[in-house]
Amino acid sequence: MTTAFDLNDDSLVVIVGSGAGGGTLSQELAEKGIRCVVLEAGKRFERSDIENDEWKMFSKITWLDKRITAGPTALTQTSPNLPTWLVKGVGGATIHWAGVSLRFQEHEFKMHSLNGDIAGANVLDWPISYADLAPYYEKAEAKLGVTGTKASGLPYHEPSSHFKVIAEGSKRVGAHCRPAPLAINTQARDGRPACQVTGFCMQGCRFGAKWSTMESSIPKAEATGNIEVRPDSMVLRIEHDKTGKVTGVLYVDKAGNQHFQKARLVAVAANSIESPRLLLNSASDMFPEGMANSSGQVGKNYMTHTGTGIYGEMPDTVNMHKSPVVPGLVSTWADNDPSRGHVAGYELEILHIGLPFMSAFLKPGGWGRELANSLANYENMAGFWICGEDLAVESNSITLHPTEKDQYGLPIPVVYKGNHANDTAMIKHSNQQATAILEAAGATKVNVMDRYPASHNMGTNRMSERPQDGVVNKWGQSHDIQNLFISDGSQFTSSGAENPTLTIVALAIRQAEYIADQMQKQMI
Amino acid sequence: MNKNKTADTRATAGANLGRRRFLARSTAAAVGVGALGGTLLSPAAWAAKAVGDHASATLLRMARDIYPHDRLEDKYYAQVMTPLAEKAETDADLKALLKEGVAALDAQAQQHFGKPYLDIAAETDRVTLLKAQQDTPFFQKIRGDLMMGIYNNPELWPRFGYGGSSWEQGGYRYRGYEKNDWIEGV
Repeated sequence: MTTAFDLNDDSLVVIVGSGAGGGTLSQELAEKGIRCVVLEAGKRFERSDIENDEWKMFSKITWLDKRITAGPTALTQTSPNLPTWLVKGVGGATIHWAGVSLRFQEHEFKMHSLNGDIAGANVLDWPISYADLAPYYEKAEAKLGVTGTKASGLPYHEPSSHFKVIAEGSKRVGAHCRPAPLAINTQARDGRPACQVTGFCMQGCRFGAKWSTMESSIPKAEATGNIEVRPDSMVLRIEHDKTGKVTGVLYVDKAGNQHFQKARLVAVAANSIESPRLLLNSASDMFPEGMANSSGQVGKNYMTHTGTGIYGEMPDTVNMHKSPVVPGLVSTWADNDPSRGHVAGYELEILHIGLPFMSAFLKPGGWGRELANSLANYENMAGFWICGEDLAVESNSITLHPTEKDQYGLPIPVVYKGNHANDTAMIKHSNQQATAILEAAGATKVNVMDRYPASHNMGTNRMSERPQDGVVNKWGQSHDIQNLFISDGSQFTSSGAENPTLTIVALAIRQAEYIADQMQKQMI
Repeated sequence: MNKNKTADTRATAGANLGRRRFLARSTAAAVGVGALGGTLLSPAAWAAKAVGDHASATLLRMARDIYPHDRLEDKYYAQVMTPLAEKAETDADLKALLKEGVAALDAQAQQHFGKPYLDIAAETDRVTLLKAQQDTPFFQKIRGDLMMGIYNNPELWPRFGYGGSSWEQGGYRYRGYEKNDWIEGV
């Protein structure tokens, strides 16, 4: 069944992006009988497009439109045009995510109340509490089929060799390693099969065992007949009327033809670079600094998580590739304990990357015998990616390049990210703890990797109680424009120590209820 | 490939099964070792017309110095260098990059050690010269191609203990994802 809506139909919800935020929102609205057009910049992939090959899938699905990496970190040199590792395609980054599904902790919604003003940072409480979101976390866990939760009833994955090594190392230093709650079926559920442990979660799941909007939400939304997905459709700008209400979006299709799709409301869910970029590109006489930007916070407070990797070379074979990519977590330091020398916390996430990526990321640009010897030890490696909360800093931002344009004629985004002193202190602490665990498990050498291109991108259209502090209210609705919503991780007020997807999904489920209610009441 | 797998670390790991695995792997690896013999390089086997024997041999030596895996045969490095040198026959820019890069390397070698790069016996001396070149487009081109050619070469993955594509075999669900016979406490 293919639904097709008219460009002049101004009763539609237009959703920009089809990942965790947009894909979920489309399903939730569709199931309430609300008709939506989903505009996705990337193409549509089939299950058969998914290969167990890191570089092939990187070339196939990654958002490779030019961006500029800026800021005083090594990434600016090692990855000058790829600040992030995201997906361009129907399903967005849910094709690529490792499935780690964590709720934010209660205190992470009120980091300003908890820690007070922090010099050089722009920390703010969320306008919602954990209690507000808890029922939606429950629904999100059921929707995604998160292992180890009551909501799904699915057991955790059985411990892999990689998990066992880290679990034992953790025990020896007095820390605790637990199985990761994953949106990857351990039993057939919801039309998707059980995990076969290919070890390639981040290249897309060849079996469809991992939840993604590509596999789940989008097909379900389309089955209602209320959703039309238009792939290869890059939104150029959002238009508004004389009162400031949005009227629709201008987009360009695969053939290069421009179309204007009218809308009753627009929900932007294009991830934390493209979403603020679209608002900035939608500047007009009425909104000279960009749409929804009376606060000046659009594109600001860009957060990525601390994001270092750390790999130990063990005395014997680990075969970390024979495992769900993230089999377990050490959450011992996920709390807010300033006595460590930093506020906020981090998760040590056991994470496998394959030899091809390991050779690129272990020491970016590196060569020589020491690196070669470590890579020769690949099968003995065990280690982590570290998901540490980085603080909102106003200068960490997405801005438009003054002259350079992309293939659509849009100014390319400049992605600036530096580390706050708190981030630096946390990175040091977390690297030390991870090293201790790996050494306790027998590592003869531990390799610390600098942050590589971020898959977690948050904060650039943040939620705030007061309109002057952020871009959207507690429903993800623009403070300035009633019928404009943000539905992705860019609405995060803080980054938490958790992978963002489950929270994005929970917020989208909650937002869909609000949108339906407001439409019903003719408020929007 | 694994340098840590000495009899000593095996003894501390205390696993007979592990020792048997190590022996089996060493035997498999030994099949490929013969041709290398430390410095024995054979430019004729892969030399391309565009850059000539000397530059070809220098590039191969340089390739081995960039990602030195003594147990890997020359052919794996040559597989990366050959297409480059062949392409240089029709690509004037690439030809210039390679020839001038080798010439610059040799000039540095002459200046510091009084002989061409290829004739410098000590790896540490050659690495010193490469370090001075590492930001040049020439070096970056060779390094980038090698990184992909060595570590993204499915033929070599088993030698590194990396499995590559697994879905065709049903993943590792019934093929040993849980297997670990050395970590205690599990």
